[in-house]
Amino acid sequence: MSDYVQMWKDLGMDLENHDLLCQVLPTAVGDVFLSQENRPKAMDFWDLVISEVHGIRPAELIEAQKQGRKVFGTFCVYVPDEVVVAADGIVTGLCGGSQFWVPDGEAVLPKSTCPLVKASVGARLGRTCPFFRIADLYVGETTCDGKKKAYEILGEDVPMYIMDVPQMKREKDILKWKDEIADFAEKVEEFTGNPITPEKLGEAIHIINEKRKALARIYECRKSTCLPISGRDALLVMQIAFFDDPVRCAQMCNRLADELEQRIRDGVSVVPAGTKRILVTGTPMAVPNWKLHNIIETSGAAVVCEEMCTGTRYFENLVDETKTTLDEQFMALSQRYMKTNCACFTPNTGRIDDILRLVKEYQVDGVIDCNLKFCCLYDTEKYAVSRALKEASVPVLSLETDYADTDAEQLRTRIGAFVELLNG
Amino acid sequence: MAEEQVRYYILFANYEQGLALHDLLDRENIPNRIAPAPRAIQGELSCGMSLLIQPEALETVKDCIRRHNAPHHAIVPLAGQIKPRRDRYC
Repeated sequence: MSDYVQMWKDLGMDLENHDLLCQVLPTAVGDVFLSQENRPKAMDFWDLVISEVHGIRPAELIEAQKQGRKVFGTFCVYVPDEVVVAADGIVTGLCGGSQFWVPDGEAVLPKSTCPLVKASVGARLGRTCPFFRIADLYVGETTCDGKKKAYEILGEDVPMYIMDVPQMKREKDILKWKDEIADFAEKVEEFTGNPITPEKLGEAIHIINEKRKALARIYECRKSTCLPISGRDALLVMQIAFFDDPVRCAQMCNRLADELEQRIRDGVSVVPAGTKRILVTGTPMAVPNWKLHNIIETSGAAVVCEEMCTGTRYFENLVDETKTTLDEQFMALSQRYMKTNCACFTPNTGRIDDILRLVKEYQVDGVIDCNLKFCCLYDTEKYAVSRALKEASVPVLSLETDYADTDAEQLRTRIGAFVELLNG
Repeated sequence: MAEEQVRYYILFANYEQGLALHDLLDRENIPNRIAPAPRAIQGELSCGMSLLIQPEALETVKDCIRRHNAPHHAIVPLAGQIKPRRDRYC
């Protein structure tokens, strides 16, 4: 019970309300993670991080700020971390994944806004998350309408910079995103007071690529028929990757991957042979959103892959490290990021291709396509996803949920029936 | 029910003490897991780590703590803390 109270007070947090979150988090962590048997030993690191989630990393960020570094809060895998790291800035993810923050978001947003957006706004305005208090500059982006409008409200309370994400993927859109990255670099230089040189950006590109490779190693292990890690644990690793120092993240992920690879060699699986393998696709699952994974994995199946922003979209595709001028590097960044297949783009057939590819690579028995309520982009894409999977003879279950516990029984019924169907 | 079983949580003044004991227990192959301390037993307005141990390991853990004079705040028994199908998220 480290005493972070003074730090939280100094951040202007609402301690009384925040304590309510502190009450529910240990219960959820116990139920979702500590209930599992035979977890990889290397998960100790993530158990510590989640146990001290509002303590250790926030304290590190505050210490870095005292040394003159700036913290950038981001909400989307399209925002290039490399640019911030090149200017000695620090990136922290800010997407809210808790029902706890939703009511404070609903105080200023329509109820018919997706829970991720409501929770993100609520975490800031309710003053119940240290990361939202610490970030010096929020970096938003023009992906979905809900976020765009929410950023206008957040911008009244905290410095905000918006990146204009293209909505199509033509050559001119890739050029446009390159220019947008260059503009962002200027903003980051101005905000940090640190120039971004080709050498610095090259180093940053390498750091973030190494982090991607380490995450990819963990996912590579999940392709094995001998499944060495649960979907819940893999999801936690991915969620924390958005908050952690990128070098440490890569180091810890590689340590975990070493163990997972050894487990596969030793035939150590976290599930009995024949357990049905599920790919989850759809909207992101920001920490601490573990509901769907926990229900699937306590219903007799295993999640082996996530085609989502808190999944493959975060680490697939590397940035070309051979470029030596800023102009070339910005283009390399644009080319890599524009390969990410988000439903805010039209057309977005690349996502269908990804899902069909991942189904094969991860030896998937069935797909669960799940979107957060009021996300019309991913909800609409369910039609094309479902059709493509049916054509490929892959069973698919389409779901919609939010952060509340109230639909858990309904989800258990539907997911249980789906797993039963897969078991034939 | 197995889910209602009593487990023991070792509490600490800070996470450095917790990690030190975690390493000690690991070195002696005594099963333990890092876990968030349940709020009901923290006693202060703060989140934080604890070490979760099973009843059968309790005496071995106490012995290890004694031998190494390992700093810790308290060892607290709690029942029914872990229920994978409870569906109480946060």
